[in-house]
Amino acid sequence: MDAPKAALVLFVAALLQLSVLTEYEPFRTSSIVLVALLSIALLRGSVFGAVAGFGTGLLLDTATLGTLGLTSLLMTVGGFWIGRYGETTARDRFHAPFVSVAVVTVLYAFGQVALQFVLGEPAPAGLVAHALPLGLLLNLLLTLPVYALIRRLFPPLELGDRVREVRLLG
Amino acid sequence: MPRNRTVRLAVLGSSVQRAATSGYPSNRSSALKRRIVVGGLVLLSLVLVTVSFRSSALDGVQGTAASILRPFEIAADRVSRPFRDTVGWVHGLANARSENAKLRLKVDELQQKLVLDEGALQENVNLRSQLDYHGPASIQDFSRVNTTVLTNPQSALDESITIGAGTHDGVRVGSPVIAPSGGLVGKVAKTWGGQARVTLLTDAQSFVTSMDLTHPSAVGIIRRGGGGSDALIFDRVAKQPNVSVGDTVITAGSLGTGALPSMFPRGLRVGTVTSVSNLDVNTFKTIQVEPFVNFSTLQSVIVLVAKK
Repeated sequence: MDAPKAALVLFVAALLQLSVLTEYEPFRTSSIVLVALLSIALLRGSVFGAVAGFGTGLLLDTATLGTLGLTSLLMTVGGFWIGRYGETTARDRFHAPFVSVAVVTVLYAFGQVALQFVLGEPAPAGLVAHALPLGLLLNLLLTLPVYALIRRLFPPLELGDRVREVRLLG
Repeated sequence: MPRNRTVRLAVLGSSVQRAATSGYPSNRSSALKRRIVVGGLVLLSLVLVTVSFRSSALDGVQGTAASILRPFEIAADRVSRPFRDTVGWVHGLANARSENAKLRLKVDELQQKLVLDEGALQENVNLRSQLDYHGPASIQDFSRVNTTVLTNPQSALDESITIGAGTHDGVRVGSPVIAPSGGLVGKVAKTWGGQARVTLLTDAQSFVTSMDLTHPSAVGIIRRGGGGSDALIFDRVAKQPNVSVGDTVITAGSLGTGALPSMFPRGLRVGTVTSVSNLDVNTFKTIQVEPFVNFSTLQSVIVLVAKK
């Protein structure tokens, strides 16, 4: 039941991003889709995060008529990584969503620059660095309500659901 | 005294398999599955990037998928419209008094200019007909396709928009795009049946031959300025022409009869000169231009399609 719910949440977030938020210049530097994706990945794990990231990236690339796969690649890696963080060290920590969003926002921005550079497109890193502080701030502000909403929709899994096997080390 | 761990060992000493439940996987087969899934998705993304970037094989699929998404985008836009209008109304109200005073002064100034311009225009028409003069293409040589903006730029790196008109409406790659107010927006970079992608004037790869309206001998190239703003640079302008702050910069159209005519007709408004520096060490003037168009808040645009 989680998959359709996640698809719906990310679809609505993408529509909000594409049709509403980007009409306001400051929101060109932030991304509610990224915040929603990372929140879901944090609560549902790496595989779920990677698949959700791939689908969301594909949706954004399709809607903006951009190079297919470019956003998917970044979001797949971001979703997987934060999902893995959620599975391991981030469990039940208040700061986890904020740390995840902050780190991935920075890496996502420079990942975009790197991919544009590899493809031979203009990749002004200075422009990205200039826009990054505002984007980071807005993403962190968005994290609080978005994560709270997504946590209600995707309640954290119990410890018993996470661990299937106990093995003695050493 | 050594700690006695007998009880813990009795519990944890052997591997205990729990009933399989949904949730985070943690055993070895799940780790392998996890790696296969993420590796496959990354590989698929790379294949998509390669195919999409190097060929137009996926254009049809992408265009169709974008057409399917379009009603949802329009619906989201309509739902959010009242909220945006409210924000705009409050913002407008706060600035109304100061803006009103400025606009009154501007109206007086423009009314004086209009009288002079109408006389010059009439004289121009008469002289053109007497001399049988054929100048560069003007906006009258293009038909207009009015269309909506589907998506605005999505990031600081993105300097493009998508519009709701494509090859079915006569839009071609290279067609100039202007705002309803007449300011130059950019040109069409890629077309689909019912949509097109427009590269904005602020893109790093966008260059437009332009001229100063007040001093027509000041001809140069409009390109993106530095920093994070939408400011433009009027580059390659020789030092002799006297360009002043407040001058209007327009597209120059084709200069002469070269093999590569400009895609832009003459006379499209680009922006206003905001600063001019004329350093001895520079070969050309450094002119900064404030564009007429606010590229991040475009709701609709006009595509100019050549009539012949």
